[in-house]
Amino acid sequence: MLLTFERMGALRWILVLWGVLVAAFLLLPVLFIVALSFGSSRWLQFPPPAWTLRWYQELLADPRWLDSILTSFKVAALVTVASVLLGLLAAFGLVRGRFPGREVLRAFFLTPMILPVVVLAVALYALFLRVGLNGTLAGFVIGHLILALPFSIISITGALEGFDKAIEDAAVVCGAHPFEAKLRVTLPALKLGLFGAAVFSFLVSWDEVIVAIFMASPTLQTFPVRIWGVLRQDLSPVIAAASSLLVLLTLVLMAAAALVRRGSRR
Amino acid sequence: MAHGPSTMPAHGLPAAGRAPSLRRWDGLGYVLPAFLLLAFFFVLPVVALLLRSVLEPTPGLENFAKLLTTPTYAQVFLNTFTVAGVVTLASLLAGFPVAWLLAVLPGRWAAFLFGVILLSMWTNLLARTYAWMVLLQRTGVINRALMDVGLIDAPLPLIRNLAGVTIGMTYIMLPFVILPLHATLRAIDPAVLQAASLCGANRWQAFRRVLLPLSLPGVAAGSLMVFVMSLGYFVTPALLGGASTMMLAELIAQLVQSLLDWGMGGAAAFVLLVVTLALYALQVRFLGSGRMTAGGAG
Amino acid sequence: MRTKLILGTAMALFAAGPALAEDMVFTSWGGTTQDAQQEAWAVPFAADHAGVNVLMDGPTDYGKLKAMVEAGSPVWDVVDVEYDFAVQAAKEGLVEPVDFNVVDRKAIDPRFVTDHAVGSFYYSFVLGYNEGASSEPPASWADVFDTDKHPGKRAFYKWSAPGALEIALLADGVAPKDLYPLDLDRAFAKLDAIKGDIVWWGSGAESQQLLASGEASLGQFWNGRLYALQQEGAPVGISWAQNLTAADMLVVPKGAKHKDLAMQFLARATSPEGQAKLAELTAYAPVTPAAQKLMDEATVKGLPDQHTEGQIDLDMAYWADHRGEIADRWYAWQAQ
Repeated sequence: MLLTFERMGALRWILVLWGVLVAAFLLLPVLFIVALSFGSSRWLQFPPPAWTLRWYQELLADPRWLDSILTSFKVAALVTVASVLLGLLAAFGLVRGRFPGREVLRAFFLTPMILPVVVLAVALYALFLRVGLNGTLAGFVIGHLILALPFSIISITGALEGFDKAIEDAAVVCGAHPFEAKLRVTLPALKLGLFGAAVFSFLVSWDEVIVAIFMASPTLQTFPVRIWGVLRQDLSPVIAAASSLLVLLTLVLMAAAALVRRGSRR
Repeated sequence: MAHGPSTMPAHGLPAAGRAPSLRRWDGLGYVLPAFLLLAFFFVLPVVALLLRSVLEPTPGLENFAKLLTTPTYAQVFLNTFTVAGVVTLASLLAGFPVAWLLAVLPGRWAAFLFGVILLSMWTNLLARTYAWMVLLQRTGVINRALMDVGLIDAPLPLIRNLAGVTIGMTYIMLPFVILPLHATLRAIDPAVLQAASLCGANRWQAFRRVLLPLSLPGVAAGSLMVFVMSLGYFVTPALLGGASTMMLAELIAQLVQSLLDWGMGGAAAFVLLVVTLALYALQVRFLGSGRMTAGGAG
Repeated sequence: MRTKLILGTAMALFAAGPALAEDMVFTSWGGTTQDAQQEAWAVPFAADHAGVNVLMDGPTDYGKLKAMVEAGSPVWDVVDVEYDFAVQAAKEGLVEPVDFNVVDRKAIDPRFVTDHAVGSFYYSFVLGYNEGASSEPPASWADVFDTDKHPGKRAFYKWSAPGALEIALLADGVAPKDLYPLDLDRAFAKLDAIKGDIVWWGSGAESQQLLASGEASLGQFWNGRLYALQQEGAPVGISWAQNLTAADMLVVPKGAKHKDLAMQFLARATSPEGQAKLAELTAYAPVTPAAQKLMDEATVKGLPDQHTEGQIDLDMAYWADHRGEIADRWYAWQAQ
């Protein structure tokens, strides 16, 4: 009764109201950014004195913005793939494994989250200088992977613990190869955990600025590093324009995904 | 490199830990790639840096002595754990109903709500934090709107204090509790709750005795992520907090990036690490590491 | 990717002539300031030196600088840093001494040149205020501490750096010549009196936002930031009384790969042409007096060197010696 929408009575409207409030809370700054991107005030006055497309023109006239967005995307995508793969393996080991020291290892995997990022940034950069990874894409990906991995491990471990291994064993009893059982039975059941791992990993890399400042080179600048510089130096609404374009892109992708889903259902 | 993205994840699985003679080490092979990555690119460099806390400026424990005897550091430690705790609690309270709603909403509406969450996450974090700053300040949109409708007479102090940090960080952290909670709630079989109702439980009892305990792994995963993440957080507290809510990550950034006092910065980071891991150990001791699943995977 | 780029440029140049391309790296704080430095210095420098590319990197990060010098392989050749850091970095052996056979030391204002650094540009901490926030405009640092006469929040620079403590002492009646060594007890006591009314700004852009939005009524600002606000039509006033000069400096990291080129770059940056062009683009003042003659009147008007009466130079040598201990006290006081 508590997990069936139609049978929840008044409770469901309380939940819906709460959902609307939280959605509004989440959207407020985003809408605000979109509004500011059309405002004429450089100092983010709201409501703006006049409306303009000036910031979009500046954005499109400067190829460094687009370059940095593409770089960020590339780094985040690589980090996501590596983080989910390593996280999945590690989660299997941590949940199913029977070796001593598992709890210690579990805590160990969390430490990159605890350490203030600037400490990791300095330490890793010093190592990279010595092994020649500084200023390289590989180095960049490794730096963010360290930060993303704990999120993957937590997400997937959580999902795997909630999954009843008996189902996988049943598949094996019914004649499936253990590997096939994992691939066909367990992995699909972990869908949401893997999804969470991917989203968090992408996000950690996509928004990260401190390690990125250290890993950056003249030819490797990510979007947050550019924003960081401009926010501190100029506070230009070009940042709002760039963010708004990404919001638009997201909306288009989501709409496309919804259409594809609807099409495939027919 | 330790991870070859070209190989399928599952291909290595059967071979990795199935040898019966190694029963005791079963599963260790799975953990190895992640372990090696962290060992080489995390432990090695970070230990090298933290060692400087006992080597600079002169060998000895003077950095730690200073850390323990200076009231500022105690204050900043206290701030850090207070903010992290408040943010975790706020995120859980705000996020639990949303995760629940996501789990029960009909497909299309759930997809829509998911869309809203992902959309906000995808927008650059620095830009969103800055937007909050403009929204929350004394002359900001929220205060002016509240004053226009006559709810308040004088601007509320919503920024450069605990309120500002809490609003800003809860905002950032919400998805990190909603997603794992949602995953856990979705995995619960609605039949279990029907069974509870058949046995005569009312709504409240069913929530307290069945739904809540079953959702605990998600609660644990989400709050662990949020709490630990908050401890080392830098950008949002720097922009939305005040000097009196200064958190450790800010102070360490000052020491490391501006004053170049790596000995002291390393010492502060080391203490934060030890305290947090100790708290984690306590949690595991008394609550188990989130695996309270009834009849769980064990 | 980088190697490929270098190789590509090298081959292109090889085809054009015998010179081989060299990529030197200039690092600054990003944003329009660095764009201006690129236009005023890097572009003409590369034009004069066949086969040299000046790549832009940044933002400046002292931790990153220290790490690369320690590892013995700096990737930066010229770095824009704050003055007090430049002095400290020289003490810690992180930067090369400037080659004054290449750079003309006598041409640079002696306030903004040391054995290890040359000025990038200079600016002043001035009193900025919102017009109409109080009946009569604030005119001195003492007014900033007078909350009855001038209500509203006060904006101050957040980090431990030269400026705020000096302002507190001047407001308390200390004569400029007696400022150093700083009487820290007295300075903090003075600041304590208005602590609840202070809003801190961590970056130049943030200071502008605070004043433009009316969040702060008055406070301590960089003159160039206020000038920009006025240019955009914001109702902002400036008092130059006892303005405090500070500067950004250019340094060459110890062991820089293109040390010789870097020295030539410093010469170009501090040349009258380079300084005049930068001032025109940014409203920061030139460190080379001869640049004055090359600038148009509109540019000259907003610069600190028009306000030398009562001007005070922040003592960077004092700050470099006491940076650590003052920082300890500063953050302790802030966190209380």
